[in-house]
Amino acid sequence: MIWQYALRRLVASIPVLFGILLVTFALARLIPGDPCRAILGEKATQEVCDRFIREHGLDRPIPVQFGIYMKEVLRGEFGSSIRYGLPITRLLIERLPTTIELSLAALLVSILVGIPLGVISAVKHNSWIDVLTMLWANIGVSMPVFWLGLILAYVFSLLLKDTPFWLPPSGRLSAGMTSTPFYEVWGWSLPESGFLPATAKFLSNLHILNALLTRNWVLLKDAVQHLILPALALGTIPMALIARMTRSAMLEVLGQDYVRTARAKGLPQSVVVLKHAFRNSLLPITTVIGLSLGSLLGGAVLTETIFGFSGVGRTLYDAITARDYGIVQAFTVVIAIFFVVINLLVDISYAYLDPRIRLD
Amino acid sequence: MTSTSVPLDAEGLSLRSVSLWHITWRRLFRRRSAIVGMVILGILSLIALTAQWIAPYDPYQVLIGVEPVQRREKPCIHLLGCPKDKPQHIMGIDGNVRDQFSRILYGARLSLIIGFATVTFAIVIGTVLGAVAGYFGGWLDNLIMRVMDVLLAFPALLLAIAIVTVLGPGLINALIAIGIVSIPAYARVVRASVLSVREMDYVSASRALGGSTFHILFRRILPNALTPLIVQGTLGIASAILDAAALSFLGLGAQPPTPEWGSMLGAERNQIFSAPHLVFFPGLAIMLTVLAFNLLGDGLRDALDPRLAHVSS
Amino acid sequence: MKSKIFSLFGVLVIASLILAACAPKTPAATQAPATQPPATQPPATAAPTEAPTAAPTEATPPPPVPIATYDGKSLSVPDCDYGGEFKSIEATDKYTVTFTLCRPDPAFLSKIAFSVFGILPKEWIEKTAGPDKRTTEGLEQPVGTGPYILKEWKRGESITFVKNPDYWNKDAVIGADTLIFRWQSESAARLNELKAGTVDGIDNVGPADFEAVRSDPNLQLVVRPALNVFYIGMVNTVPPFDNIKVRQALAMGIDRQRIVDNFYPAGSEVASHFTPCAIPNGCVGEPWYEFNPEKAKQLLAEAGFPNGFQTKIYYRDVVRGYLPEPGRVAEEIQSQLKQNLNIDAEIVVMESGAFIEAASAGKLDGLYLLGWGADYPHITNFLDYHFGKESQQFGQIPPEIYEPLIQGAQIADPEQAKPIYEQANNAIREFVPMIPVAHGGSATAYRKDVVNPQASPLSNELFAFSKPGDRNVFVWMQNAEPISLFCADESDGESLRACEQVIEALYSYKINGTDVEPALAESCEPNADLTVWVCKLRQGVKFHDGSELDAEDVVATFNMGLNPGSPTHVGNSNLWDYYSYLWGLMQK
Repeated sequence: MIWQYALRRLVASIPVLFGILLVTFALARLIPGDPCRAILGEKATQEVCDRFIREHGLDRPIPVQFGIYMKEVLRGEFGSSIRYGLPITRLLIERLPTTIELSLAALLVSILVGIPLGVISAVKHNSWIDVLTMLWANIGVSMPVFWLGLILAYVFSLLLKDTPFWLPPSGRLSAGMTSTPFYEVWGWSLPESGFLPATAKFLSNLHILNALLTRNWVLLKDAVQHLILPALALGTIPMALIARMTRSAMLEVLGQDYVRTARAKGLPQSVVVLKHAFRNSLLPITTVIGLSLGSLLGGAVLTETIFGFSGVGRTLYDAITARDYGIVQAFTVVIAIFFVVINLLVDISYAYLDPRIRLD
Repeated sequence: MTSTSVPLDAEGLSLRSVSLWHITWRRLFRRRSAIVGMVILGILSLIALTAQWIAPYDPYQVLIGVEPVQRREKPCIHLLGCPKDKPQHIMGIDGNVRDQFSRILYGARLSLIIGFATVTFAIVIGTVLGAVAGYFGGWLDNLIMRVMDVLLAFPALLLAIAIVTVLGPGLINALIAIGIVSIPAYARVVRASVLSVREMDYVSASRALGGSTFHILFRRILPNALTPLIVQGTLGIASAILDAAALSFLGLGAQPPTPEWGSMLGAERNQIFSAPHLVFFPGLAIMLTVLAFNLLGDGLRDALDPRLAHVSS
Repeated sequence: MKSKIFSLFGVLVIASLILAACAPKTPAATQAPATQPPATQPPATAAPTEAPTAAPTEATPPPPVPIATYDGKSLSVPDCDYGGEFKSIEATDKYTVTFTLCRPDPAFLSKIAFSVFGILPKEWIEKTAGPDKRTTEGLEQPVGTGPYILKEWKRGESITFVKNPDYWNKDAVIGADTLIFRWQSESAARLNELKAGTVDGIDNVGPADFEAVRSDPNLQLVVRPALNVFYIGMVNTVPPFDNIKVRQALAMGIDRQRIVDNFYPAGSEVASHFTPCAIPNGCVGEPWYEFNPEKAKQLLAEAGFPNGFQTKIYYRDVVRGYLPEPGRVAEEIQSQLKQNLNIDAEIVVMESGAFIEAASAGKLDGLYLLGWGADYPHITNFLDYHFGKESQQFGQIPPEIYEPLIQGAQIADPEQAKPIYEQANNAIREFVPMIPVAHGGSATAYRKDVVNPQASPLSNELFAFSKPGDRNVFVWMQNAEPISLFCADESDGESLRACEQVIEALYSYKINGTDVEPALAESCEPNADLTVWVCKLRQGVKFHDGSELDAEDVVATFNMGLNPGSPTHVGNSNLWDYYSYLWGLMQK
């Protein structure tokens, strides 16, 4: 049943994926200016730029370029970046883990703080705790990410300097700290290219995972320290959303007859709340968590800018500025596919959590 | 989702003669958060309307040679012990030697306009698309909703950045971009309410009586979408203001010397350590405004239909 | 259900194909609002989008044909009418290279010292040449003769270098065993890292932070001499700027001192001439007009604008040494124009590429804010590019300006060229093609214990010659990550600085200066009319791959950069910007 549904949804998302390809291509080509002048600035000359545009095939008719692009995508290739001269797949392997690590950390923060806040607030409905929590949640949702990031950096890396609470203002690791990939530590010999080494490299760029795998505790501490502030900045909005949603879902469930029955049976409050109420309010919470992942990827542009991460968001923003069509297209497509997949997973989990929901 | 019969409201008030709006207002006033939101909004609107009278300085006036102030000088408030012989600047001096407090006040005007303009733009287009899709169904519905899916498949801010880059930086273009990005939400809401009442008796009756499609759609069906649209719109204003500020922060939105909070903050972001007041106050202003709309939106949602309360925010 | 999906899919495919086919005209219907040209942008910006795409191939001239011959020992062209500078480059013996020029070039040594022309080993050049671009090794693992060897470039994070034990000038090296490059675009965050002690030196201290660094007992500020110029451009064929009195009125009506005092960091200067004084003959001739709003208003009235006029101020939001705060300065100029001359100017920010294209083609119908940073420290690098006969940037350059420039470019001795450049500078002052405003200072900052802290006017700090106290690692934080380390085909300062630690050219610039001194060459001597330069190479210099430097490496390097017919003429973007702009590619 669920598999059938998932398959159907996948097929149905093919046109959307095609639309995504079309939109990213159109957007990339519609950006005014050309990569040559974007790279060279005031030093650009007509002669150099004419040659550049010819050599990169940017003077060909747009449908032809779209055709070439589609062909590459269908072959699973993304071409190479005009600006970095590297295969875009490689750039993805380098930069996607940064963003994933950041987003997951932010999500973790938001879940670990948001759900308890929501539960407490629902249980102590209308008390001052509830009022404070919800006020805090509303402030959280209203906070500009970039502002919060700057303020956090100001407080933790400048005001709290020389205290144990000091946190580094930028970067993923301290200078001189190197993260030796786990496959090198384990002495694996990987082939030069292919799926396996790409995956291994991808995973090793998740610094925290890599540090855990190689049991490098110094590295772990360093990576975690660098991740705290960005994760807090990025995680605040989803945290507030989750807290709000948890509260209202819990309130609804707590008012249901079966919860009252459970209470009447004399079950302790904690059991009622956790076993009966919370489990049944998981459904809307999952939805919010899924939806938050999307806003995390968007917020990553700003967070990465402020904290000096070279992640997908920042690279994409730079690529838009540099008219690096290849990166713009590939990165947006990857992000969009992520989105589609997450939405799919949310829908499926919805059905899984509540069998009453009909799938069609 | 929306019920069409006048709900006898949960509090047990059953006053037939009282309109739905009246009840809504009353419910709204019973919610603390909504009141806080409305109060903040009221103050903001007042500031926006009277900025030219209450601002101590012209927001564009460069004070070099006019007053003995330094560039990016810290706030000087007489009540807090700033020497009386110095001119008072309660939020300090900005990077162009202008009074920041006056700029913040004028910024309220812009932010409110940004919020309402983008949401109106998105609601109008979203409503038309959603209504057409829901009412006519079939391939048209499929086509429109798939396009909406495509738009929804990108993180809103990223898509807005890309669209602004295409259009060229500027406040109007930023508004258009954010408008485009938020269309799908409204289209979905409208489509859902159209679908829910399309086959109802009173609609069929209207059809049988020979009402034109236009008439049926706009007089019989769309009023049902009003409630969710108002809620979605109020919350949408909040996120539109946030997104516009983010675009301005990146230098893609309002351009200097416009006193827009996001661009004020973005322009001085490297002074966070040397002149934190230039980053703190605009950010605070953005946050309060967005907070007001969020609180009001929440309140409205609960007041307009208690059963909507648990639907996603 | 199934059929529905398929039909939908079909409809979408067809719709998309139609959209794609129509793209050049109406670039995608889903983006309909996007095609409306924005109201605030000049028509000039709308044009470039369509120009390359809408105009099919018939308009473009046939691509140029390579004309050079290369046999490993010499690179030459049959004749000099291709517009470039080199006639031939020959390895006359193992350690001698002879450059034969098509015309005299007094700036030859200044140019040859530029790090883009760093010498690479011949085998490496051939080995890393891919079919249409450098291989990944070529882009990321440069092999040179420099004091540091590249160890690892962790993209997105850092670059690590280690000391070269076989460096030819080992005794001069005092730097740490390990050098690490990091980057961070926000100046506040860079300073914060320096204060936290996580880095030893940072580039481009924020203009507002100069005092904070100076007063910090743990830090030292090194001001970088200003080898750049910020100017307010205008096009002298567009009304009202076609009236010389309007231009002169603008030249007198803007308080440049106030701009520099308020928006430029310490070490900046009000520009007395277009070229900075640090460059020989840069500021000979009369200095720029004094600020005189009354006289300016009078001139404006004489020109028929007693009540001012309306115009625009175009700029791009890109921070450069010559314009550290673009938006702030645009606002300041706007308010000055209003205050001093009653001119109403609207500020228009443009996307960088579109701005540059419109500005260099002279298509902007208002004032524009642009500048120039020196590539090599010679006056021709400033004046010839902007005020040469072909320049369209300011409309039409009058012969009074460009004629002396042609003359001056033939003379090596600065003393002898002085009267000619006086003439040129005075003509620029008289005709006001633009208003030079400032030479923007910038600064680096280091921890207090760093010995021999550097701030090179050309931004080529060589960290082998600075010592980070008693630490063994030197961490440098600059604005951005290098694009690639194949610097022959790069042009941004962030890439070049990383390459300069590894690769050396025949000459080099003195530390913290602009004078040249021999590096891989022991000497380069010209003939009497400056058209033949004979360079004697240093013997026994080893590349990082162990091979020894000889004359063939030099010829191979220039063949790679100059000869489009060579299979080694592949780079990163393949722009070869500096090879083509400073020497001219061998093609026609």
